[in-house]
Amino acid sequence: MARLGKAGDLMAQSNPPFMSGVPELLLLRLLNDQEMYGYELVRSIKQATDEAITLGEGVIYPVLHGLERNGSLKAKRKAVGGRTRVYYSLTRKGRDRLEKLRSDWHRIQSGITSALGAPANA
Amino acid sequence: MRDLDFNALASELIGNGISPRHAHRTVNELRDHYDDLVDAAVDAGANSKRARRHAAQQLGSMDDFVAAMASQRELKTWAFRYPRLAVVVYPLACVAVLPAFPVFAGMAHRDLLTRWGTALLAAGLITATMMLVLQLTILLS
Repeated sequence: MARLGKAGDLMAQSNPPFMSGVPELLLLRLLNDQEMYGYELVRSIKQATDEAITLGEGVIYPVLHGLERNGSLKAKRKAVGGRTRVYYSLTRKGRDRLEKLRSDWHRIQSGITSALGAPANA
Repeated sequence: MRDLDFNALASELIGNGISPRHAHRTVNELRDHYDDLVDAAVDAGANSKRARRHAAQQLGSMDDFVAAMASQRELKTWAFRYPRLAVVVYPLACVAVLPAFPVFAGMAHRDLLTRWGTALLAAGLITATMMLVLQLTILLS
């Protein structure tokens, strides 16, 4: 529970620059498979990352709304179990965005892996 | 930790320039999320107070949430996105709309204006009739 206490604290304790853009990438990736609402998305992020990435759960909503506003996601209200859920799904623009972020991520990951594997004094 | 005040959160978002539509929708989603977390904690055996505290912790700091929303420029009202333009446009718009205010005020109080107009018309007719009668009396005498 403590790990999930405050997103800001967690990020401050770890490495904010590395976290930058990660929630967006994860959200786009998960929504590429199926439409989901906020709570579902947070559970899916935990599951998909084996809880390696933990966020203050409220943090996803600004990202979701930003992505919706720029046309990467579309939102739809559905009444489920007496509550109105806002389901998000990916648009064509969102898929393009996902591909770009995925490609960037692989490039950075490859560079870091290469740097970590190289001798320190090379 | 005290219970989250979602209404205050919405006001704070709007105060930070987030458009009211996004502010209210986000807060509603956050409230549902909080309820889901409370339900999950209660299902896991926590009492109500502990469940609410756990849910609030899971959601994270509301200051961070407001800061994250405020950092999304596209969620802000245009006046917050283009403050210099707003400083010019708002006064101009006020000057342009000013002449229409009496019309709007008239439309808003049309019942009162109708009664007042009717009374004025009736008074005019009575006065005209009296003047006519007076004139006829003078002519015929």
